[in-house]
Amino acid sequence: MNTSTLSLALVSLFAALIAVFGLIPKIDLPLGVPITLQTLGVMLAGCMLGPKRALQALVLFLAAVALGLPLLSGGRGGIGVFFAPASGYLIGWPLGAFVTGWVMSLLPTSSPRRSAISAFMASVVGGLLVVHVCGVIGLVHIANLTWEQAIMGTLVFVPGDLIKCALCATVVHTVARGLPDWRFGG
Amino acid sequence: MGSLYSDIPTWLHRVPAGLKLLALAGLGMGLMGAQQWPLLLAVSAVCVLIFVSLGAASVRAKPLVMGVLMASALVAGFHVWMAQPMLAAVTVMRLISATLMGITLTLTTRYTDLLGVFEWVLSPLQKLGLRTDRFALQLALMLRFTEHFFVMWRRLDDAYRLRTGQSGGFKILAPLTIQMLFTTRRVADALTLRLRR
Repeated sequence: MNTSTLSLALVSLFAALIAVFGLIPKIDLPLGVPITLQTLGVMLAGCMLGPKRALQALVLFLAAVALGLPLLSGGRGGIGVFFAPASGYLIGWPLGAFVTGWVMSLLPTSSPRRSAISAFMASVVGGLLVVHVCGVIGLVHIANLTWEQAIMGTLVFVPGDLIKCALCATVVHTVARGLPDWRFGG
Repeated sequence: MGSLYSDIPTWLHRVPAGLKLLALAGLGMGLMGAQQWPLLLAVSAVCVLIFVSLGAASVRAKPLVMGVLMASALVAGFHVWMAQPMLAAVTVMRLISATLMGITLTLTTRYTDLLGVFEWVLSPLQKLGLRTDRFALQLALMLRFTEHFFVMWRRLDDAYRLRTGQSGGFKILAPLTIQMLFTTRRVADALTLRLRR
């Protein structure tokens, strides 16, 4: 199998996965905090594809959004979303996927259990920390919040994102058992 | 899956995609640096007028515009509550101007035209070894996979229901991922044959 065409297909697949997650309605935690699943797609892309291909998948997805396709949760799309207060989170997705993939490539994946634990840790670092840091930077510069206000505002989404990290680890565990030859982290 | 492009012709539909993108990029950079509220007010008024001039073509973007207005109201409310009304005004005017013009671009430009501009902009990267000519193919594959995900999800959910009497929910996410990875390997084999012709 040609690795170049496999990479091309995998990048498109995970960009599609993130689009699919955007089409699933949001889940509301107690107190009305919404969880959308697209950051789960970011975590999965990093853990499954490795840093370089995960970055490409997210760039492809965001390019499709910029071209006008309504792929973000709530049917949002177009270039206008990149000027909104939450655009920092969008820019954080490719970086988060890259870091998730990079951390995953450094951690042990010799057994399904180890792969799951590594996926959880990689998702927390890349899919949670990096994305939220980028989101906070966006809120500070676009919505003109102070750093403290932006950080307090983003903390409310952390419990939902931790659930997504656990879900990502569960998926990685099952994939490791079903596809023992899969190279996590690229 | 449809795009947000509107088929109702307007004066902006005739403007080339590259020119519109350049104008939007310039506006975005200018807005980020502008602090004077009279200038921002004038720019916002022009942006609103341009959007309104689209007439019936702008109806499709109503949910997006409502989202922008809600976000602006929340940000403005927060700054006013913090006793910073001028900051609220400046922030809201920047937000509304940039996002309305982004929505206007999306409504009046076919995604194939935007794709052409993106490929032209990315073409110098080919000298660094990046295959930017495959971008359109990856985009088409992405859309095809999106549809296939739902077909596969439905199939797995039906099988789960037959066995358990309940919907699979997130329990079928992992088997769905495995099935899609198998599909991807088959697609990659087909692509290898086609792209070598």
